[in-house]
Amino acid sequence: MASSMIEPLGASGAIQKQIRLPFSKAVQIAWRNIRVRLARSLLVMSGIVLALAFLAYILCSDALVRSLITAGGPLVESLQKEGKLARMTSTDVSAQTWWLVGLALLVSFVGILNAMLMSVTERFSEIGTMKCLGALDSLIVELFLLETLFQGFVGTAIGIAIGLALVFLESLFTYGAEAWTLLPGATLAKLLGLCVLVGIGLTIAGALYPAWRAAKMQPVDAMRTEI
Amino acid sequence: MNPSDPSHSTMSTPREGSDLLAVHVVRAVGVRKTYHLGGEAVHALRGAHLSVKRGEYVSIMGPSGSGKSTLFNMIGGLDKPDEGRVFIDEVDIAALDTFELAWLRCHKIGYIFQTFNLIPVASALDNVMMPMVLAGMTQADAQDKAVGLLKKVGLGDRLLHKSVELSGGQQQRVAVARALANDPAIVLADEPTGNLDLHTGEEIIRMLEELKNEFHVTILTATHDHKMLAASDRVVYLSDGQITSIKNRGELDIKIGHIGEKH
Repeated sequence: MASSMIEPLGASGAIQKQIRLPFSKAVQIAWRNIRVRLARSLLVMSGIVLALAFLAYILCSDALVRSLITAGGPLVESLQKEGKLARMTSTDVSAQTWWLVGLALLVSFVGILNAMLMSVTERFSEIGTMKCLGALDSLIVELFLLETLFQGFVGTAIGIAIGLALVFLESLFTYGAEAWTLLPGATLAKLLGLCVLVGIGLTIAGALYPAWRAAKMQPVDAMRTEI
Repeated sequence: MNPSDPSHSTMSTPREGSDLLAVHVVRAVGVRKTYHLGGEAVHALRGAHLSVKRGEYVSIMGPSGSGKSTLFNMIGGLDKPDEGRVFIDEVDIAALDTFELAWLRCHKIGYIFQTFNLIPVASALDNVMMPMVLAGMTQADAQDKAVGLLKKVGLGDRLLHKSVELSGGQQQRVAVARALANDPAIVLADEPTGNLDLHTGEEIIRMLEELKNEFHVTILTATHDHKMLAASDRVVYLSDGQITSIKNRGELDIKIGHIGEKH
């Protein structure tokens, strides 16, 4: 035992490799952290769900109307006669609506940021302890990002599903199910992909600063009894 | 500053000359540290010298503001000196980068805190496993070793209890097991009995003493607790950023009380 302890530290390259946490373990820890703060996680998630549902709804219903107008034909003409579909070729979503979408996204971003900052403050000594045990800054960032991403993924998925369901139901009653055959699958996939990107991007943007703050904290500060 | 300069006259540690390298697990040489608080310079340490031998139980005593925590944090690789050098296992901590410091903290140092600092939502087992998993040990090996350590500290029947479900004394036992997880060269205990009642505190002290003998680990504590001093091989007195005296166990004038008695 004594002989191994006298051994000097190796080169820094060799040392770096030794401080790591298997990804599965990191996922496990992040998941545990969500579970113990379930109410707050659900609140953050609901913000993401609402914003993404709104975004998906606006994008998809706009695309549907556009594809209807572009397609033309008897269905579209009859719809236009009934006044259910505007005659103009550009039924662009109004600037006002985009403002609302932007606001919804902003609110959900602030929600994530706020909740994660609270989480970091609450876990000051926990983070400090992890650092004392040898955790690197990158691990702390990883843990916080993972935790937020869980919420982001689930929130985004539910949000998109809700948004899509709303567009579908609405169009079913207004235009009939036939209208959906006119919307190219690729367009829909592209829009949904965009929604996923916005959802995940939003989550990461909201988590980056809190995660960075957690990682930059000095273990000494975290060890003080009163903060 | 020349590290071999024994300019501090109050240091009473015997110098073993050529054996110094192998024997001393901690060496602080002329350590100075100044903090700047609100534009005012606070001299936390003004040239402290200290050597700790392998397997020694050393307590650091001093009023708050004496620089005790600062010295302690440096030995723990949590802070770096402005001047002077701190060697842990003959590695100058000032020369280490962040990765190396993290490695040092993970492999060479075990921490015990006044406020226990367990991860509250994790089980006792998970808490003890954490440093080993960070050190790259497999889950299975880490679990086996953690179970062994928890049994050793008398918590074999509470492996899966979360720390909120444990009493203060039990939490501190988990912390002791966690501190020993990676077979550290030094265990740093910052007021380990500060948040415990008399009896529980004594148990922890006794346990530390036993573990020291069993694992040949070096124990450094910062404490106000006189029971703790009685268990120490040496007591270092710190005042105003300087080490004022170092006393061996025999020189201590302490009423031992009922340490060692069975309750």
